[in-house]
Parts: sequence; C-alpha cells; structure tokens
Amino acid sequence: MNEAVRNPAEPTNGPIIEIENLSISFFTRKGEIPAVMDFSCTVMPGEAMGIVGESGCGKSTVSLGIMRDLSNIGKIVGGKIKFQGKDMGELSDEELRAIRGNKIAMIYQEPMASLNPAMKVGQQLMEVPLIHDKVSKEEAYKRALEMVRSVRLPDPERMMRSYPHQLSGGQQQRIVIAMALLSKPALLLLDEPTTALDVTVEAGIVDLVKGLGEKFGTSMIFVSHNLGLILETCDRITVMYSGEAVETGKIKDVFDRMRHPYTQGLFRSIPLPGADKNSRPLISIPGQLPLPHERPKGCNFGPRCHHFVEGVCNAAEIPMIAVEGHEGHFSRCVRFNEIDWEALPPGAKKVNERVVPGAPVLKIEDLRKYYKVGGSEVFGSSEGRVVKANETISFMARESETVAIVGESGCGKSTLAKVLLGLETASSGTVTLGNKEIQSTGIEKRSVDTVSSIQMVFQNPFDTLNPSHSVGSQIIRTLEKFNVGNNVAERRKRMLELLDLVKLPRAFETRKPRQLSGGQKQRIGVARAFAGDAKVVVADEPVSALDVSVQAAVTELLMDIQRKNKTTMLFISHDLSVVRYIADRVVVMYLGYIVEQGTTDQIFAPPYHPYTEALLSAIPIADTSVVKKHIVLEGDIPSAMNPPSGCPFQTRCGYKKLVPDNLCETKVPPVKHLGDGHMSLCWLADDVLAKMEPVIKFDKEHAAHEGVPDDAPHGSGPGFAGDPPKRPGGKKPS
Amino acid sequence: MQVEYIGAFNIVLGVLARFWPVWVALAIVMGASFLYKKKLGLYGQLFDSGVGIVGVGICLFWLFTAIFASTVAPFDPLAQIPIMKDALPGAIEPKSGLIYLFGGDKLARDVFSRMVYGSQIVLIIAPAATGFALMVGITLGLPAGYYGGKIDTVLSFLANLVLAFPVILLFYLLVTPGIMETPIPYGLAGIFFLFPIIFFSVLFWTRYKNRPDRLYILLGLTLIIGGWVYTGLVFDRDPLKIIHIDPNQLNIFVAVVFASSPGVFRIVRGLVMDIKTRDYVAAAQTRGESPWYIMLWEILPNARGPLIVDACLRIGYTTILLGTLGYFGLGLAPESPDWGTAIKDASRLLRSFIHPALPPTIALMSFVLGLNLLADSLREQSMKD
Repeated sequence: MNEAVRNPAEPTNGPIIEIENLSISFFTRKGEIPAVMDFSCTVMPGEAMGIVGESGCGKSTVSLGIMRDLSNIGKIVGGKIKFQGKDMGELSDEELRAIRGNKIAMIYQEPMASLNPAMKVGQQLMEVPLIHDKVSKEEAYKRALEMVRSVRLPDPERMMRSYPHQLSGGQQQRIVIAMALLSKPALLLLDEPTTALDVTVEAGIVDLVKGLGEKFGTSMIFVSHNLGLILETCDRITVMYSGEAVETGKIKDVFDRMRHPYTQGLFRSIPLPGADKNSRPLISIPGQLPLPHERPKGCNFGPRCHHFVEGVCNAAEIPMIAVEGHEGHFSRCVRFNEIDWEALPPGAKKVNERVVPGAPVLKIEDLRKYYKVGGSEVFGSSEGRVVKANETISFMARESETVAIVGESGCGKSTLAKVLLGLETASSGTVTLGNKEIQSTGIEKRSVDTVSSIQMVFQNPFDTLNPSHSVGSQIIRTLEKFNVGNNVAERRKRMLELLDLVKLPRAFETRKPRQLSGGQKQRIGVARAFAGDAKVVVADEPVSALDVSVQAAVTELLMDIQRKNKTTMLFISHDLSVVRYIADRVVVMYLGYIVEQGTTDQIFAPPYHPYTEALLSAIPIADTSVVKKHIVLEGDIPSAMNPPSGCPFQTRCGYKKLVPDNLCETKVPPVKHLGDGHMSLCWLADDVLAKMEPVIKFDKEHAAHEGVPDDAPHGSGPGFAGDPPKRPGGKKPS
Repeated sequence: MQVEYIGAFNIVLGVLARFWPVWVALAIVMGASFLYKKKLGLYGQLFDSGVGIVGVGICLFWLFTAIFASTVAPFDPLAQIPIMKDALPGAIEPKSGLIYLFGGDKLARDVFSRMVYGSQIVLIIAPAATGFALMVGITLGLPAGYYGGKIDTVLSFLANLVLAFPVILLFYLLVTPGIMETPIPYGLAGIFFLFPIIFFSVLFWTRYKNRPDRLYILLGLTLIIGGWVYTGLVFDRDPLKIIHIDPNQLNIFVAVVFASSPGVFRIVRGLVMDIKTRDYVAAAQTRGESPWYIMLWEILPNARGPLIVDACLRIGYTTILLGTLGYFGLGLAPESPDWGTAIKDASRLLRSFIHPALPPTIALMSFVLGLNLLADSLREQSMKD
C-alpha cells in the first residue's frame, strides 16, 4: 500500500461512502427480524451526516453494518455499501481489517469500554500508528502526543502516562477521539459519543467534533437521539423510524420544513423554547414503536400518524420521495404534499390554567450532608476523609409548585433526594415537611403517613420495577404499605383506578415488567409514587432515559396528576430545556452548593450565575433560529472528595478575573439577593451582573425570513429574548 | 456346577430391556415437554438445543432409575450368591435363571443391581444436601450482601475459613468414630436443619405481616412440617416413624452441607451486592419496607437465575464428593451399594477383574456430565432472548 492511497485528504470528488438500499436482519430464535430496511445515504468528503431516531429504530445497526461488525446473528441481506467507490461486500476479511480502524474509525458511547484499562493511554494511542503505518516508536509517540494536544487535553505528557481510570469521562472520550483520528480516517462513525457525559463536558466534545471536518477533512456519521446535537454538528440529517429512513436532507430543510409526520412529531414533543406548560403544552406522538416482526403494511408510522388515510398509506411499501425545491431532501411519506403542516393533531390544543402555588409544604434550611469515606472496617486504619455532598442547602417548595433541581453529576442532587426520602439522615440543618421535622428520621422510623406523603419517581425505567413481580402486585404492595384500603379487594380496586390515572389499560395488572415498554414502566412508577396521595413527589430525571416522543407523554402525565392532586414536585434534572418547560422555580446546584435559585424567568434571564450561564449555553437546542452565546467550560467537574477552596465553581469560572483580591479562590461567596427571591452564590459585583447578556436569543432576521409565526403567542417562553420561533410547524411548499 | 454366559449383544439387549420402566417414563416426560415447550418457560427453552435435551435426558434417566430401582434391578443389591463370585458379565444365575448382566463382584453380588440401587442413595443425598446448603448459604448471604459492614466481614471471614480448610481432612475429622461419638455432628445438624425453618418463617412473615388470614396458615404449615422433619432428622424421634436417617448418613449429610454452603454464601452475597443498587430496591426502601422483605422478596427472586445454574453444578460436585467419601470408606456403611463405595470395593481387584469397577464409574460420570450439560444449557438459554 503506498502513501497516496491512505491519505484521506486526497482530493476526491466522489462520495466517501455510498449506502444503497441497505437491509440488515438479525436471525434469532423467533426467525428473521429485519433491523434496517432499504437504507440509503451518501456522505461526501468533509461532510457530517447525522442519523437520528429513537431506540430500536436501527440507527446503531447501520453504523455497525458499515463496519461489518454485526454479531454472528446479524446479516446484511440486501443492498450495497460502497466505501471510496469500492463495494465493501466484495472485500476479503483481510482487506476489511485494513479499512477498519484505519480508514473508518468508530467512537462508541461508553469511553471506558473503548479503552483497555490495563494499558497506559500513551501506549494505546501509539499502537495505532505502529500497527497501521508501521512507523518507529519515537515517531508513533510524537504523533500520539500531537494528537492528544489537538484534542485539547491539558498536560499531554502526563495524559500519555496515565491509565484510563485516572481520567474523567470527558477526558477519556477525548482520548478515544484522538485514537480514532490518529489513523487519519476518511470516515468517522460516532455512536452517541456524548450520551454518557455531563452537559458542560458534552459541549466541549461537541466543540471538538465540529472542527474535525475542517481540520482533518474527515467525513462523519453522527448517530444520536438528540436533535439539538445533530443541529450543532452536522450538515445533513437522516431521520430513522422503525428500521427505515423516513426523511433525509440538509439540516435546514429538515428542521425548518420537515416533510414527514414523524419528524414533525419529534419536534413537537421536545420542549423547544416556544413551548410552555400552560399555554402551549408538548404534543406527544400517540402509541409506540411497532415491534420489528409486527410492522404494519405500507407506512410504518401509519398507526401513530394523524394524517393516516386508509388505502393510501397502507396500500404498498412507500419509497423515498423527493421533496420539490429542496436539494437532496427526501421523505418516505406519500401524502406530504396534501398535508396541512400547520395543523395540530386533534385534541392537542389544550390550554391549562396556570396553577397558583399554595402554602409552603417543604422547607429546607441550611441542610448539610457529609459522608466519611476510606478507613477499613476490619483493621480500623487511618481516619477517613469527609465528602461534603450537600453544603448549606436552603430552599422551599409550596403546594402544587414544581421546583426543579438542576445540576450535573456529583452536584449532590441525588444525596439531597436521599435525605428527603429518609434513605440518609442529614448531618445538620432542618427539613420540614408540613410541620414535622424529618431530617434526622431514617425511613424505618418514619410513620406511614410521612413515608407515603413524600415519594419518588426513579430515573431508569428498566430498573424501577422489580422484574420478578407482576405490575398489579407491586402497586398493591405499595397500597398495603401505605394502609390504603382495608382488604385485598379494596386495594385491587384502587390499583385499577391508579392504572386508569396513568392511562394504562387495566389488563396490565397481570403483566410482568419485561412485557412493558420503557414509557409504560415509567407510568407504573408514577402510579406507585402517587399511590398514597403523596404531598411531595421527588422526580429524579424521570424522563431522561426515555425516547423523545415518550418523554413528552410522561412529562404531561406527571403534570396532569400534579395539577389534579395539588402535589409539590421536586424535579431533578440536568436538562434545562425540560426544566424551563416544566418548572415554576429552579434551584441550580454545583458541587453540593446551591449556586443560584429563583423563579424560572429569573434563572433563564440575566443576570446569571456564571455556572448557570455555562449550563444554558451547553444545552443543544434543536431550533435553527436560536443563537446562543458560546461558552465552553474548561476542564471537568472537581471531585467532591477534593473540592477546590473558596467558591466551588472557581476552577472553571470565566469571570474570576473580574473579582478583586482573589476572593473566589479563598472564600466561599455570600448568598447575594437579587430581588424577588432570586439568589446567587457569587462574588461578582452588581455592575458586572448588570452587563450580562441573554445566552439564548432568537435570530429575528432568520425568523422573519422563515415567515409568519404560527399559533405560538409571543414571548411565551420564559426568559427568552426576541420572538418565539414558529416551530414546530414547518409550512407548505411554495 | 458350571455357570453359563450369554453373548455381548444379548447383554446390551438385556440391560436395555431391564430399564423398560425408565424408558417409558422418559418417553412420556420428554415427549410432553417437547410438545409443550413453548409454554414451559425456561425449562421448555432447554429443548431448543441439543445440549439441553441431552442434559435433561441424562438427569431424568437417573431420576427414574432411582424411582423404579426395585423394578429395574433383578437382584437384591446386598444378596450374595456364592457361585457368582467374580462372575464375568452375562453370567446366568443357575437357580433363578436371571442374568448377572454386568457380572458379580468379589462378594458375589450383582454389579448391575448395585449400580441401580446406588443411584437411589446418590439421588437422595446429593440434591437434599445441596438444598440445605442453598438454604444456609442464602440465609447468611443475604444479610452479608445487603448490610455489608461488620456482618459481612464476620460472615465472610467464617466462610473463607471453611473454604480454606482442606475438604478431605475436614471430612476425615467429621466422620471419624471419635468425633461421631461426640455431640458435634448432631449439634451441627441441629443448626443446619434450623435454617430452612427460619428461612420460610421469615419469608412468609415479612410478606403477610398485615394479612393475618394468610400469615397464620402459612406460618403454621411451615412450623408443623418443619418441626416434624426436624425431630425426625435431628433427634430421630419422628412420632410417625416415617422420617429416619442413619447416623452414618446424617454425618455425611452434615459434612457435605458444611463444606458446600460457603460457596453458595459467596455467590448469594455477590449477587445481592449487585442487585441492591437497583432502583426497585430503592423504591422498596422509600415505601418503608423492612430489610428482610427487601432481601427475600425484592432481591432473591432476581438472583434465581445464577442460583439455579449453580445448584445444578453443585449437585454434580456433591455427587463426586459422595463418591470420594465412599472411596475413602468414610461415612456410609461398607456394604452400601452407592457408587463411591462400589468403586472402592472394585479397585482392590482391578488387576484381575475390571468389570465390577466400570458400571459405577460410568454411572457417576454420566450423571455428573448430565448435570453439567443441564447447567450449561440453562445458563445459555437464560442469557438468550
């Protein structure tokens, strides 16, 4: 092989990869299960293609199919993949090996799983040029070091000497990217590369990935479930549904004028800046993804589509149809020219009354939770260190109010939840529920009343139900514990009512959790939390593990029940778009401290706490008219074992230089009252705060160019400057 | 008097014919299982692979052999017919006209009948001992894994202590006459046999505490049945005279349970440590469930997969252990037809006559093989979906 062949920067006019009508099936005990059907796409040199879809739609299978790395039960049953003009199906195993990892590199979701834990990072990086380019060790080291530097890792020499476990998740993922880039691949496959990372770390990785196309001429296929991420990183997008590509085109075309009802449904179910829980609630897609062996005839999306027409949509299999006036924009919908894209699905346009919060239900004052770590039990060795998981937490939640607790991993939000629920007891401070102090009463010592009045909805739907017991018996057990009903028959009746409440069929009583989808399981989790008429429900990222279209439905359900029962909800989340949509008040936490709290409008509008500002900027928003202030935080979240001195955020704060006397590094800032209950933990002076600009702005020119806004009332999104966008909606082709 | 012989082909035919009740039962059970495999859950899935079918087949074969032993075996396993001393396979016993299919041993007993009756002893002691070991291991492993800390440290230390002690030496100690005269074996038996009663009582108590109608029935049944078996096994004073165990066998039993429960303990402890981090355990905690309810009803059911596989393998080990004990002449009575003792007896004269040693050896091997295949296939099928 000569040098010219392996140079990806070699100017070729042909596409890097051409996939034609690819079909992949898995052969299992139940027979052939088609995972991908009739998938076509072309990626040009330097271009980034995003593949988006919900779990089970086949997006990861496509990327594995390109690598020909399907497990032994997967098989390509039709179509062609041409890489740089060569049909990969005709290549021998040896030729494929030469391409994999060299011309096509792949980056997976879990960085730790992609690195060998027993080898130093440097060695692993050096392996790539050593194997693929057969260079000398010195040369390999030089190249590896250079690459570590170009993925913007601090102190590259030290990085090279570290083992993977000594690095943080974000650093690991950067190393994985560096490793993939070392072989100068022509094509980079990224399979949800940031899903396991925190938002502010994700923003850094996205920033890095975005520059790759220009810097190295690498083409990318970016697989993700997050439309906002795709918008930030890609040039073109393919939307997949149930094994098929349903729409493909340039980012702008697909985002602004989607021509497939599923794509529109996706956009309507994510909380974009125009949505508001009272005046413009999210619209979820009804039903759920069909099982691979139960796909309907004709359009796969037919049964869930409100534009479905009998005899048209289910007459025959639907090909990709070109959209007029848009270059390379295709949709797998036969009716896209007849559909009124502005119309909302029937029954979707409801307006909820704004709920007025009542008396305070939950009061937390100066709460601290410290853990002792280290020190072996048996041999009673040296004094352990103290981890301060929660420091001086004070806030209050009123009846039927939603308070969001926002923060990244390690900020202490889960510890706070544990203390509230009695799984841990507080080190100091008070938690008052109603008029009872509960901070030092463990769950075993709490009365049934207290236990049932503060309940929790858990994050992972696949973990929240015990797989060994039927759904009905799990709810009945909860009722039994909460002393609801006097006998089995009464409890069963109440259980069936709860199933109605969370909008599940009563037949689910006898189902085992494995027969339920993620969204349905989460509904059962909600039913369980509300079983004893809870006064306070702590929802720990209740929708973050669910698919986008299901997220909206579960979020709406939670709020409906909350409205009805006048429950106080503590909504723990890292996703500020959901928070802005759902919360009345927001508490932002960082490293155990509350750094800012106030009403949703106060938090989302300047003045910000520097951390809130960075968080806001880091969140990918799937809206082409949004212009964000670009803030990427340096480094990672410090460990709670070894917190920085002074202000917890000082190691990553961009405003530090504006504070005199090095105060940030020496003293914890005082709580600054900014009026109306808006509080911020920061040394910044008032004049600096006053000068802050909003992070998210709508590009007025862009919006004007797009045409008239649709039904969204102006300024409905709290804390956003400028007109709200017209999406989700799209408009008729001119 | 000259002993007459039949040919090799006729021996094979004769053996197959003697096993007729086993074949009939096997055909019925396997046929039915195969027909309804879709409805039988994990057990039905075993019939999807060759390994699974063979494993189930071998295990069932020995189970039915043990059940129908009196029909299958032509002779009393202990009866000696002097003329048949060291008879070669296929010898016809002159008086009854029946055949010593696998020949006679040095005490002129029928090797075939002894092998068949030997399966009874093995198939009672091995699964029962494994069952008790599971009970002990689970009851101690659950709190060790769930609470961690001091309880875990102490229990794990004890388990490691037992595991670190050489097994054979341990058996020699437990089974020597000197020790047998002391109250140690009965004391140990008294402790071990208490575990199932504790286990089931706690199981029902935690679940039905608030529903007395169910609780009293279940708890009562547990205590009555448990108490009855307990008096029979430990004190040998069963009022109904049904349950009885020889002191020798009790000793073996106790030794086997003692040696294999630390293994179960460690597996359970590991599984609990993994499962207790799940959200449904946290959900149970937040609704105020007691720790033992969580261990027994939330965690244990989800640990059943690995435990079933382990139990299958463990029955195999226990069978081998019994063989080893028999070989060293420990525990069981010298004339006992169990496979280990039979192998020991035959090994003395291995140079002159090999035929008495082969049947028990092959029986032992095939049974353990069957269990291992079963465990393998269970593991494989439970991981598929």
